[in-house]
Amino acid sequence: MMDANEREVYRAAIHGDREAFEMIIRTYSRPLFAITYGILQNREEAEDAVQDTLVKAWKSRWRVRDPEKFPAWLCMIARHCARDVFRKRRPISVAEIPEANAPETSDSSGLDRQLHSALASLPELHRAALSLRYFEEMDYATIENRLGLSNGSLRGILGRALASMRKQLKPALASKQS
Amino acid sequence: MTIHDHIDEFLAADLHSELSDEERNALHTHLVECADCRQAHQETKAMNKVLNEKFENEKPNLAFENRMLAHFRNRAPERARVFSQFPFNLLYSRATQLAGVAALLLALVQVGRIITGEHFLGNRYDSSPVSLEQSVRPMSMNERREEADLAKRDEVRAKDIRNRALKATGDSTVATPPPPVAATGGSARAEVAPEFHEEKAAPGRNIPAEGVAQNPVDTFRRDEVSSTAAEAPATGNPALANQKLIRNATVDLEIVSFDQAIQKITAFAAEEKGYVATTNSEKQENGKLKGQIVVKVLPENLDRFLQKIRGLGELKNQTLGTEDITKSYFDTEARLKNARVMEQRLIEMLKKKSEDINDLLQVEKELGRVREQIEQMQGELKFWDSQVQFATVTISLAEKDLEEAAKYLLKERAQLAIYTPEVEKIYNDLKSLASPKVQITNAQLDRDNSGRVSARVSMLIAPEESDGMIAKAKAMGRVENFQTQTERVAQGGEGMSENANTKRDKVELNITISRDEQEQAFQQTTLRIRTSTVDERAKKLRELAEKQSGRVRSSSFSRDPEGREFASVAVRVPMKNYNALMQSFDSLGKVEDVSVQRLDRTGQVDEANAPADLQIQVYSQGNIVSSDTGLIATLRRTIAQSAAAIMWSLRMIGVAIAFLAPWIAAIVVIVWIVRRIRSRRS
Repeated sequence: MMDANEREVYRAAIHGDREAFEMIIRTYSRPLFAITYGILQNREEAEDAVQDTLVKAWKSRWRVRDPEKFPAWLCMIARHCARDVFRKRRPISVAEIPEANAPETSDSSGLDRQLHSALASLPELHRAALSLRYFEEMDYATIENRLGLSNGSLRGILGRALASMRKQLKPALASKQS
Repeated sequence: MTIHDHIDEFLAADLHSELSDEERNALHTHLVECADCRQAHQETKAMNKVLNEKFENEKPNLAFENRMLAHFRNRAPERARVFSQFPFNLLYSRATQLAGVAALLLALVQVGRIITGEHFLGNRYDSSPVSLEQSVRPMSMNERREEADLAKRDEVRAKDIRNRALKATGDSTVATPPPPVAATGGSARAEVAPEFHEEKAAPGRNIPAEGVAQNPVDTFRRDEVSSTAAEAPATGNPALANQKLIRNATVDLEIVSFDQAIQKITAFAAEEKGYVATTNSEKQENGKLKGQIVVKVLPENLDRFLQKIRGLGELKNQTLGTEDITKSYFDTEARLKNARVMEQRLIEMLKKKSEDINDLLQVEKELGRVREQIEQMQGELKFWDSQVQFATVTISLAEKDLEEAAKYLLKERAQLAIYTPEVEKIYNDLKSLASPKVQITNAQLDRDNSGRVSARVSMLIAPEESDGMIAKAKAMGRVENFQTQTERVAQGGEGMSENANTKRDKVELNITISRDEQEQAFQQTTLRIRTSTVDERAKKLRELAEKQSGRVRSSSFSRDPEGREFASVAVRVPMKNYNALMQSFDSLGKVEDVSVQRLDRTGQVDEANAPADLQIQVYSQGNIVSSDTGLIATLRRTIAQSAAAIMWSLRMIGVAIAFLAPWIAAIVVIVWIVRRIRSRRS
């Protein structure tokens, strides 16, 4: 499943090897960003969430017993952090975002806005899965592993997510195609 | 699973190239066939494109990783390796975790112990009181050493003083005043002091009460005593001849003649160079003598004397005792000497110092006391001398058959119960019989609420009148239970005697008079008569009884729910008519369950007139089917019981719910909490 080298890196990181952990940061900050961005839909916030995630992971690394589960655990922390950020900003965003976006009337930004709201209407897990797929072009098996999903369930999730978005964006898409 | 139903999944997977070849082929064939799905395919493709563009725009730039790293380094700075890594490594070992848990538990236990005030250091310090004291009262190291040193020094000093004291007075009698050191305090020093006191007290024992210092005069006197007392053992120490022994003996003898015995004892005493000190004698009621005689003989002749006495009669008891008074004798002697010296000194003092009247008085008083003591001691010594010079023999004499009875008294007691219809008349008749020879000691007539009358007369009758009197009383009514009792009482002794005379005493007669209804029946019979007409037969039964001069004592009638009738009749007839009555019952119906109980009493005088009780029950068969049986009754009962059963089970269900409800509530709450936690995590 996981090659011995990779596993050794995780083990070292769990045991407090800082270099190993930095290596993990290099390889994993993008997928983690994909997850937090999927949930938050905002780059700055997503970056903050990733930073929180990394620090938190470093501090509580001893909680992981099995190095194999390290990536999934990291993703879990990322989701938690993103959710925390999401909760904190909510009261502001609900009031401000529509007004801020209202004046923009250009075609592309209209589509963008619709896309944004369509994404927002999806369940959190679906958004995380989507962004992992589109940012990182990960294969389904890896995504399932990272998000702690069972084998083969991702296909249904992504199918449903795409279908629901396409239905919401149908008019905009049609205009774009034509 | 058809592709059409899951077209969304297939389309997405196709675009993400996650379909197997087989699946892709199937999808494309379906797309050719299905217009809707083709449409969806087009839209999904567009959607995919839009999404790709969108996310391409939002992708973090190249410096993203470095930014993250920098930030991480900033927020979680590297600490010295050893310190940061070591605890984490420790945290990974199971042993550390277990140890941690154990330590936590231990800590909790200790906290609990401290809170509850239990001591967990064990009893190490409880064994010796001294160290306990030390632990209670904290003391610096220096202080403690000082204390110990002091104690040691005191001990040495005490020993020194003791040795010196012993040397000075020999080891017989010592009364040095206690060294002042011992009196001063300090916990360690106090330990030495009592020991010393004890040592001192032991040799001082020979000097009685005076040895204890109480006032200045006393102390001064005691010094005198101790200085002279040292000489005592020199003179007193034992040559055997000088032993002071008091010998005495007691002898119990049974002899034939008291006077003879006294004569002989006096003769024996003279032979052994002794004398008769006292005699006393006492004459018993039966003419026998007993007494005591005290003889003094020389101690060396005592054994021979006793031997002789034994020949006088039967020896019942003998004790021989020797008391050694040597020690107290010589002690007293020594004290006497001291007291004399003391007396002399006081007299000298009296002569010299005649200025201060107070001193004079004091000395005079003391002189009086000492003289009194001297006299007392002299008396004591004299008494002992006399005791030692002669042995005392106390002889108790008793003539044979001392206990024989002097005379006898015949006591007679008689008891009589009379049943009569007229209690009061008999009672008065009995009372009128009184005369100087017939004395009534107690007469009593009782009538209770229910009209029952009984009387009791006790009398004392002169012996010669007694037989006639008893006969008269017997003639007054139906006599029941006549008892006499004669007792021969020995007077002035006990046991048999051939020549003592016997005297008849007054006769005590107790008479109880009661109405004849109260008399217990001589014979009791119960029987049942079955008949169809109870009421009529019961009436006839009464008639029959009256014909046989019987009396109906009680009767009752009852009917039970099943229609049976009962009549109970209790009849009393004289014994002579009993058989006739029993035979007449046959005409009434079927006689069943006859049981007869006869009371054979001793002293029964008049059997023919004695009462016989009959308890007759007349009854009918009643209905064959009672209202408690039958179909309707069964039905009723069944319904009632099933209703009761339903009520019972309802109640039980209620109980069960009451028992389970809290558990169910608790489980529900726990499940709810667990679910909530889970949903929050995911």
